[in-house]
Amino acid sequence: MNMTSKKEGQPLVSIKGLSKSFGSHKVLRNIDLDVHEGEVVALLGSSGSGKTTLLRCINLLEMPDHGEIEIGGNAIFKCSGEGQSRSSISQKQVNALRSRVGMVFQHFNLFPHMSVLGNVMEGPRTVLKEDAGKNRERALDYLAKVGMSEFADRRPDRLSGGQKQRVSIARALNMCPKVMLFDEPTSALDPELVGEVLETMMTLAKEGMTMIVVTHELGFALEVADRVVFLNEGCVEADGPPSDVLLHPDNERVQSFVNRFHATAELMRPLLQES
Amino acid sequence: MFDWSVITQNTDLILKGLLITLYYTVVTTVLGLAIGLIIALAQLTRISAIHWSGRLFVEFFRNVPLLVWLLWSYYALPIFLGINISKQLAGILALSLYGAAYYAEILRAGIQSLDKGQSDAARALGMSTGQAMQRIILPQAFRRMIPPLAGQTIIQMKNTTLLSVITVPDLLYQAGYISSFTYRPMEVYTAIGVVFLIILIPSNYLARKLETHNS
Repeated sequence: MNMTSKKEGQPLVSIKGLSKSFGSHKVLRNIDLDVHEGEVVALLGSSGSGKTTLLRCINLLEMPDHGEIEIGGNAIFKCSGEGQSRSSISQKQVNALRSRVGMVFQHFNLFPHMSVLGNVMEGPRTVLKEDAGKNRERALDYLAKVGMSEFADRRPDRLSGGQKQRVSIARALNMCPKVMLFDEPTSALDPELVGEVLETMMTLAKEGMTMIVVTHELGFALEVADRVVFLNEGCVEADGPPSDVLLHPDNERVQSFVNRFHATAELMRPLLQES
Repeated sequence: MFDWSVITQNTDLILKGLLITLYYTVVTTVLGLAIGLIIALAQLTRISAIHWSGRLFVEFFRNVPLLVWLLWSYYALPIFLGINISKQLAGILALSLYGAAYYAEILRAGIQSLDKGQSDAARALGMSTGQAMQRIILPQAFRRMIPPLAGQTIIQMKNTTLLSVITVPDLLYQAGYISSFTYRPMEVYTAIGVVFLIILIPSNYLARKLETHNS
């Protein structure tokens, strides 16, 4: 297995028995997930399976009900069960934690009142109080890395979706995160713009960035991810190397999920042959 | 028919009144905005005691006629508190709090209308609630709120005419005073109306411009 080399030592992100409900709806049921440094994990599952909620729990944008979350060996959330006392960290520590966990959103969420460069510099400027010189230099480096240097002075509303998403990746990177969370980063994009964002993410993965990616791009999961975690109704249904999980699924639910993509491809075939 | 000499002979009184009107407009707008922001933020917290006091404040002032509230502040409040309140202070207090309730609603709606993704992104970078408000939420919200805030400020200026009832010598009060010794109310009140139109028509035009500029 190609992931054994990355599985040594303590996990960077460790989740144990995590549960979360919205009202009476149980979104996450007893999730266990370890992610090691340098690992790229694709979180798959049909909509409503809880993958986005799981991702948002990792930086506490969503408060879990119970379970444990550790990042870099530090417990950031711990609650042993229903009605038990929670030991979560102080708001200040939560903010510090979030500053080391990069997040990329489905709808980019760039700050429209700032330039592209302003967006990328905003985190270090406001949260870390870093001086502008260093910050700007690094921000421009990251913009170059995502291929957006020439747009540094533009306003976000004058960019395409793919460009916006690349800027939002640079914004997250400029905080020098230990792990990057991607919440369906290509789902809001026109099909022809998906490639440029995936390419940027692939570069990051190759450089050894730890990434947890909620995605519907099976191709990306197969080619780039070290591991695929398949969620169904808030439970981990399958967890393993992408080729095992996706190409030879022994699980019924994964099978039908993958088949749906094949079915779409089949439906498309005559249309493609016509043109 | 019209005898405009009563206006030209009393321009000093009218100008004095105009200054007072502008002074109260500016002071009660600034105070109203500041208090309104506090009330708006109070309504947005999850701490229910603070949230409900904010709501109560807004509901109170939106349902009490301004004239009643103004007279109450001047005549009844001093008795309740057992202190003396000057008519200037009573006027500023009454108009500022009244305006604050309306400003608070505009500010609250403006903040709430922002996409939740903006505060998500700010929090994900590690910003505190205060930092997110100051750097991300308020700058965007204010931009959207400029037109309704301008509109409310115009109403605020018109509301200052009620101060004449508690004998603050504003434009309207001066008009009453001038007509009392010239016996020419027609010219005097016409002139006062024209002064308001001269100031407010361009202001409204500007507010509308800002609205189209922002959308």
